[in-house]
Amino acid sequence: MSKIIATAAIRGAHKLAQRAEDELNSAIAEHSESAAVSLPGTAYYLPIIYSMLGLAVQSLGDMKKVLARARSLLPEVPSENLWLPYLGDALDAGMAALFAEEIIETLKYLTGPPPAEGIWLGATSDATLRNQGIKLVDGRMPGFAACVGALPSVEDAVKLARDLQERNILVFMAGSTNGTSMADQLAEAGIEMNWDTFLVPYGKDITAAVYAAGFAARAAMTFGGIHPAGMEEARRILLYNKERVNAFVLALGEVDDEKYATAAGVLNFGFPIIADTDIPQILPSGICTYEHVVSRTPLESIAQKAIEVRGLKIKIEKIPVPVRVGPAFEGERVRRNQVALEFGGKYTHAFEYLRSKELDEVEDGKIEVVGPEIDDVEEGSALPLAILVEVAGREMQKDFESILERHIHSFLSEAMGIMHVGQRQIIWIRISKDAAKAGFKIRDFAVILRSKMINDFPSIVDKVQVTLYTDEEKVEALHPEARAAYDKRDQRMGEMTDESVDTFYSCTLCQSFAPSHVCIITPERLGLCGAYNWLDGKAAYRINPTGPNQPVKKGECLDTVKGKWKNVDDFVYENSNKTIKSFSAYSVMDDPMTSCGCFECIVAILPDTNGVMVVGREYGGMTPSGMTFAHLAEAVGGGQQTPGFIGIGILYITSKKFISADGGIKRIVWMDKELMERVKERFIQRCSEIGEEDLIEKIADETVTTDMAELVEHLQKVDHTALKMEPLF
Amino acid sequence: MDIPLEKHKGKIRTVELRKESPSGLAIGGQDCLALHLFEGSYPNKPVIAWEITDTDPSKWLGDVRKPYKDVLGDPVGWAKMVREEHGAKIICLNLIGTDPNKDDKSPEEAASLLKNILSAIDIPVIVKGPGPGEKQNDVLAACAEAASGQSCLFAAAVEEQYKTLVASCMAYGHALVAETPIDVNLCKQLNILISDMNLSLDRVVIDPLTGGLGYGLEYTYSVMERIRLQALGGDEMMQNPFICFIGDEVWKVKEVKADDPAWGDREKRAILWEIATATSLLYSGADILVMRHPEAIKAVNEAIDDLMKG
Ligand code: SF4
Repeated sequence: MSKIIATAAIRGAHKLAQRAEDELNSAIAEHSESAAVSLPGTAYYLPIIYSMLGLAVQSLGDMKKVLARARSLLPEVPSENLWLPYLGDALDAGMAALFAEEIIETLKYLTGPPPAEGIWLGATSDATLRNQGIKLVDGRMPGFAACVGALPSVEDAVKLARDLQERNILVFMAGSTNGTSMADQLAEAGIEMNWDTFLVPYGKDITAAVYAAGFAARAAMTFGGIHPAGMEEARRILLYNKERVNAFVLALGEVDDEKYATAAGVLNFGFPIIADTDIPQILPSGICTYEHVVSRTPLESIAQKAIEVRGLKIKIEKIPVPVRVGPAFEGERVRRNQVALEFGGKYTHAFEYLRSKELDEVEDGKIEVVGPEIDDVEEGSALPLAILVEVAGREMQKDFESILERHIHSFLSEAMGIMHVGQRQIIWIRISKDAAKAGFKIRDFAVILRSKMINDFPSIVDKVQVTLYTDEEKVEALHPEARAAYDKRDQRMGEMTDESVDTFYSCTLCQSFAPSHVCIITPERLGLCGAYNWLDGKAAYRINPTGPNQPVKKGECLDTVKGKWKNVDDFVYENSNKTIKSFSAYSVMDDPMTSCGCFECIVAILPDTNGVMVVGREYGGMTPSGMTFAHLAEAVGGGQQTPGFIGIGILYITSKKFISADGGIKRIVWMDKELMERVKERFIQRCSEIGEEDLIEKIADETVTTDMAELVEHLQKVDHTALKMEPLF
Repeated sequence: MDIPLEKHKGKIRTVELRKESPSGLAIGGQDCLALHLFEGSYPNKPVIAWEITDTDPSKWLGDVRKPYKDVLGDPVGWAKMVREEHGAKIICLNLIGTDPNKDDKSPEEAASLLKNILSAIDIPVIVKGPGPGEKQNDVLAACAEAASGQSCLFAAAVEEQYKTLVASCMAYGHALVAETPIDVNLCKQLNILISDMNLSLDRVVIDPLTGGLGYGLEYTYSVMERIRLQALGGDEMMQNPFICFIGDEVWKVKEVKADDPAWGDREKRAILWEIATATSLLYSGADILVMRHPEAIKAVNEAIDDLMKG
């Protein structure tokens, strides 16, 4: 805590307490101690005092008691030679300041001048609180800004108000700088201020800022269901505000002692302070979610900065591009003769690349097209393209880059008249003539990408900037970096082992039709549908903490060979409707994982061969087991454990953990041709890793035979390892 | 001889509706499977809510319009009629008229109607919006405000749109229906999301969504059983009473509408269809059944009384 701030806040709190006491004494002199006092339209008495102390102030006498409490909270003003006043002291002083301010404001209702006069609205009724609070709670309003003081000019004030309004942020105004308040400035510009316009002028006196805090405290009582009583409830009310009421303070212009005291008061609620002037900063987080006090913020970016510091998430309601965007348009094709402009495919060089950066390295919403735009080229031509998406977020991790990048495909395909195929450096994009006619530009790709990233991944993405290169040279220049990144990501996923992590992820998406099915996704065994690997599971959990992907701590290992862990078993039991007691991650024979129905391939034992076959989903013909894929699927699916049969994702075939408990890849005696083609490269590599270079030659497919007897014969002829391995059962 | 009984560790929450009124109701509260009186305690009988609509329900079949012919289009009169003549214990006000594709009545109209109904009758009211969308949010928020402090039950919060309704119910002291499409996990997830917003789960009733008899009823049946087993097994996020909206599902199916003489008397058949659907859901755990035809309601009420005798 900065000594300057703490000292100023404590000094300010003393002044406010003194003022409250003086005014209270003269009110008592004029009326009597039993004279009733209240704020209009509320059942929460003086809400800050009520919520923090559980005291229902109803008379001047009650106020006296509160002031005594406030006094007891007030620390001494730190002396010159005390170097480190505690943050706690300043926070206590701040709380005392809020009590004093609430008393001062309430007294105005008794003795005047009335707080609601002219442009000023004064206290908020419970009815308004409920009405507006619903919007805060359901997220239609991302938060509120308490603006204290005034801006350098009327124009600045208008711009700030608009910046906040645009983001649906409720604006409370109180206090003044050099005799002017932001609300005065807006009034001068003829701007309408009331609850409907989200611009609420509370009062010119700094003490009116207490209405904003009172609003927050009542929100916690109404929507948090917390009934004030003592310290514990007070703490919960403050926490509720920190976690759910996304408010912040904009300190505009010079900050005096009383303002510091008030600011320290609202810091208790976890509301950070963003200032445009050069006040000392308090950056480390503790009370607030992120920083506490951020200063010297340029006016033009103060709204954005506040959003960042408070961690507000703002949804983009309508993506501002000239065509419609929605899942309905996803699969759309744009034919040759409808093309206005295309990129990639076999025509030009094109790729897409998403990287994460630090928060201050990304300017949210910045969009740039480097090179020709759609109007600069003839209809039907092709341009090179590099899509560079840069994201930043407090919760962003490098591991999420590939997941976000993969979404570029669906995001762009969702635009009407836009075709997007492929990923990374094999993309092919077309803009249709209709889209071009509607005014679609290359830069609109960027607009869509930014909006979608912000909307769909609010928990990990805070800021997005997009650069679109259509200049050949620039595209080439960026390509090596992108390629290196792709390789690195693949390598990382490839290097990750089940032993290197302590947490797996579950997937229960398929329980809608296979009620007892749970996928446990490990780094070396992806979900059987092939769509979710471990990183996806991790990211999905981050993005949607209550969704179908949950972290599962491995816990104690019960069997290293078969891949059994205590916590995994417990999790599976609880989440499989209590039907599956135990799971082996690496065995097809002993407690194999269940299969829902979405598996990319099936592994099935062929007892006569002492090995297994792997059949891909696409394969329609007969297999040596005497069953087609469809028949096998029936036996395997539905969420049951069928020893001898498992459904798997294709990538698992070449994993080191592929049925490793049963002997691994060497057990494969038969695989359909198409599937082998798909995995060939990795398969060969895997074989050479285990010194079985010729294994791939020995594995039969449908062109060799689909007959069991013939298969056995073939295996003997080629001397397949499986024949010599330990019996499967 | 000792009869082996299943003891459950979980218990269904009790949701109180219109607790301010002497005719208020408590729903749920049992610690055993549907109607298994021999296994545990069953403090509150399942109830039938009489469905009424804010505008003349022109799409309703003649057979189910007939018993209400004098009050169709007069929702307050309708509410009084089912209360006074049929002894209704709870009604469901279906605000079909607020549907933007129908009469597009305003949220204020709906709110003032609800107020009038609440002052005309003293029993709990379920308020059903026109279906997910912005309009539903506005309508239910306005109604929740108008009925402040009367603990109504609002339908429905869905995964894509639950926050506004949850906030409204918190602000004005109501309960809500959490609707998910016949899925155990989605049901649990929505309950988690709702409780994450700080609404007490004592104010949540689950709608597992149902089809009529012959139209997917069996899916609902088994999902309800699974939710209940999990709830009684101790899963706190599932321990809520069930509501099933049967009227619409029954009265639109071919077997109810068809005029084929070979299928026997249509009116009788339709009533039987509603009875069969309702009793099936009763056996799978429904705590509130929203129904239409007086005769069907009477029959199912008798069944409930019978079953609850133990
Ligand atoms: S098959 Fe895929 S979607 Fe289904 S549960 Fe497994 S990982 Fe999830």
